Amino acid sequence: MKEQERAETENDQAMKLAPDEDLMLEVRNGSGATLGVLFDRYHAPLFNFYSKLTGDRTLSDDLVQEVFLRILKYRQSYQPGTPFRAWIYQIARNARVDHYRKTPRHISFEPDMVAPVMPKDSAQQLEETELLHRALMQMPEEKREILVLSRFQELRYEEIARLLGCELGTVKTRIHRAIQELRQNFKQLERGLAPREAGPAVVKTIPPRRFENEM
Amino acid sequence: MKCEEIAELLPDYLQGSLKAPQDHLVEQHIEECADCREDVTIWKKLSLLPSEQPGAGSRERFEAMLDAYQTGRNEKPSADREKRRSVWNWLRSPAGAVAWSAALLVIGIFAGNYLGSKTTHSNTGQDEIAAMHTELTNMKQLVVLSMLQQQSASERLQAVSYSRREDQLDPQVMSALVHTLRYDGSVDVRLAALDALSRHGGQPQVHKGVVDALQEQQSPLVQVALIDLMVEWRDPDTAQRLRNFAQTPNLNPTVRQRADWALSKLN
Repeated sequence: MKEQERAETENDQAMKLAPDEDLMLEVRNGSGATLGVLFDRYHAPLFNFYSKLTGDRTLSDDLVQEVFLRILKYRQSYQPGTPFRAWIYQIARNARVDHYRKTPRHISFEPDMVAPVMPKDSAQQLEETELLHRALMQMPEEKREILVLSRFQELRYEEIARLLGCELGTVKTRIHRAIQELRQNFKQLERGLAPREAGPAVVKTIPPRRFENEM
Repeated sequence: MKCEEIAELLPDYLQGSLKAPQDHLVEQHIEECADCREDVTIWKKLSLLPSEQPGAGSRERFEAMLDAYQTGRNEKPSADREKRRSVWNWLRSPAGAVAWSAALLVIGIFAGNYLGSKTTHSNTGQDEIAAMHTELTNMKQLVVLSMLQQQSASERLQAVSYSRREDQLDPQVMSALVHTLRYDGSVDVRLAALDALSRHGGQPQVHKGVVDALQEQQSPLVQVALIDLMVEWRDPDTAQRLRNFAQTPNLNPTVRQRADWALSKLN
């Protein structure tokens, strides 16, 4: 009995250290339980991604669940050798686009989200954080996404290029433009001016890009 | 250096992947240029935004989903049923379909001639021939179906995902998908078919197929997905179907809960 327990613990340990790709192959071969390890690794980053992108915590929660359901459903389409991180973000983007296709979003953004937990700091920093958050949220989602991916999800530019289906140079240019826009929004907010509205129907400009084998 | 030249280097500088001497060039420039300096500052400031943490229930929801999924998958048909099923599968396969359709045609012609000669005023013969026509039309459909009848689930999955690429579906493909949703042996394939059909809720055929599928599904996961789709479609007559469904004895508790929730949404 004890030996069995030890073997199980060792197995758990090995699983916790295994690369994502190996775990995903196990999931692909029918081990649903292994998906739990991948869930532990990715559900918080994905939640943060959706939450920063949409400003809606409930929706973000739903979308994270949807991503893992899709992984189960389409696990056969995972090709060995595909970087798992790229694959899961691809699914995540598609899940969001499909969601907006089904439920067109409200254009006005005044989120009914629970305020995020702010770091306990000086009043000035708190204000700055709030302004920054707003400045980010005022950007069109397409530009915000590239910032979120590079700054918060810490994806390399190469990964982002692959994800968005564009050239590396394009990613860099778009990042730079997004930073400039964020900076301008932030300055305007600091001066107490409302910046121009983010255009509606942003999602049209973000076509989902699917891998050849489709998911 | 000009801002445009810096702009090319800046993204790499921000990710810390710029090497000397280029990083010095950028640093020199941002000391002189206020706009570029502010770009760097705002990028750094983004770290002030806290990382959003998922709610506590997230893991439980995932576990429940996984459980439902695995319960659905582990319902293996018994050996006896398997045997009967293989005969049934043969009948449903394109070869089988051609064979029995041809047989029906022959029987029909004989019956038609026989009845036609006996009672000239009866419509039975014509009905029989009309039925045969339908049968032949169905054969076309069955050929389309053959695409979805590959042995391996992943090939059928592929067939379903191909159909998702089209915005407009051929009615035959659509009914093939409805068929897959109702009868495919794999939960994965049924779910994928439902996904593909969910975009075509405006088609009465699809609508009916999906609503009808609810009563037949054994997998809780597919049941929940069907219920969710019905809520999305917001169709008043589905409420009655759901109410009947919620009365089904031995319903999986999660599914029952979902159905109740859906009813509260629809009413």
